Amino acid sequence: MIPSPAHAHGFEGDRFFPPTIQTEDPFATDELSVSAQTFNNPASDDGPKTRELDMTTEFVKEIFPKFAVGVSGTYINLEPSKHTSDGSDPLPSQDGFDDISVSVKYQLWESPAHEFILSLGGEADLGGTGSKPLGVESYTTYTPTLYCGKGLGDLPNALKYLKPFALTGTVGYAIPSKSSDSNALEWGFALEYSLPYLQEHVEDLGLPHPLRDLIPLVEFHFESPTNRSGETTTGTINPGILWESKYVQVGAEAVIPINAHTGSDVGAVVQVQFYIDDLFPQVFGHPLFFGGDK
Amino acid sequence: MRYFIALVFVVACAPLAGAHAFLDHAEPKVGGVVESSPAEVKIWFTQDVSAKESRLKVFDAKGDEVDRKDAHRDPKNHSLLVATLSALPAGEYQVRWEAVCLLGHHTSGKFMFKVKTKDR
Repeated sequence: MIPSPAHAHGFEGDRFFPPTIQTEDPFATDELSVSAQTFNNPASDDGPKTRELDMTTEFVKEIFPKFAVGVSGTYINLEPSKHTSDGSDPLPSQDGFDDISVSVKYQLWESPAHEFILSLGGEADLGGTGSKPLGVESYTTYTPTLYCGKGLGDLPNALKYLKPFALTGTVGYAIPSKSSDSNALEWGFALEYSLPYLQEHVEDLGLPHPLRDLIPLVEFHFESPTNRSGETTTGTINPGILWESKYVQVGAEAVIPINAHTGSDVGAVVQVQFYIDDLFPQVFGHPLFFGGDK
Repeated sequence: MRYFIALVFVVACAPLAGAHAFLDHAEPKVGGVVESSPAEVKIWFTQDVSAKESRLKVFDAKGDEVDRKDAHRDPKNHSLLVATLSALPAGEYQVRWEAVCLLGHHTSGKFMFKVKTKDR
C-alpha cells in the first residue's frame, strides 16, 4: 500500500523486534546502547575468583540501505576475591578498557508477511586496543556471524495467544588471528513474548501502562571451542524483561552460568537502549547514503 | 550514575514528537466482539499521522474489502484514523492499517474483530 517505508527500529512486517541484551539482533539499524553487567568469573590457573563489572557502550549507524557499521567499547572493573586458597594476600582491583570491537551487518533476506529476517555480518575485536594490565587479547579475533529473527504473527487465529512470541538467534565462528587460541562457535538465541504486540495486533486486554509496554524474554548465549580437546562449552541463560517507551528501552536480566567453567554465581545485566531514530529523527533512522527521500 | 539515571528518566517521559506511530487503541477493540455491525472503525495512534499516506481498510473473511473506501484522518485529532462501514453481517473481520508519521517513518498492523449480529 505504501512504497519504500523508512525504518530504523527493527521492524519486519507488523513485528517490532526489540534490541536484545545478550543476543545481537538481526537489524542493520541506527542504535545507541549503554549497558552494565556484573558477574563472577570462576577461579582458574590464571587467578582467583574475580567479580567483574563491565560498562559497555555501542553505537551502530546504517551507512547504506540495510547495511550498518558499529563500534563498541567496554570499561572493565575486576575485583579479585579477598579469600585466596593459599592464604596469600588478595590481588588489587584493576580497571581499564577491553579491546574495541567493530561490526558490520547486512539484511540479506526479509519476509515481512512471515515476520522473518536473515542477516549476514560479523565483528572484529581489535587486539591491542585495550588496557594491557587487564590481560586483554593482543591479537584480533574475527567472528563472521549469521543473524535471524522470526515472529509468530503468521500463526492461525486458533493459536492467537502464541502470536506475540518471537525468536532471534545468532551463529558466529570466532577465528583468533593467534593460532594458539582455539576457534569457537558462538551461538545464542532469544525467546520473547511481546505484550505490545498482544495489545496492538491480537487482543486488547485493557492492560495498563507500563504493563502493556513489557516484553518478557529469556536469552541463551554460548561459546563452544571447536579445535581444542578438553575445552568445554561455556555460556549463560538470561531471563529478564524489557520495557519499551517511545525514546528508550530499559532491560534487565539475570545472568545464570550454565556450568562451573562459566561461573559459580548468578550475575545481572541492565541495559538502556536509546531510540536515536525517534530522539533525533532528522539525523538518524535512515541510511547515510542512498537513503532516498525520507 | 545518578545523572545517567536522571537522563534516562527524562528521555523516557519526554513529550517530544517521535518518529513512529503505534496503535494506542481502536474501536472496535483489537480482537474484540461487538453485538452489532459498527458504523465505523477508528484507530488512535500514539502520535499524529500523515493524512495523505496513512491507510485503514477492513476486510471480511473472504478477503473482500467492506469499508466504504473513505478512510481519513480525523480533521480535529491528527492521531485518529477513521473508516466508515456498510452494514456487516455476523462474522470475523480484519482491519489493516498503515501509519506514516509526519517525519516519514512507517508502521503497519492488522487485527481482527467479530460481529455477532447484522443489526446496527
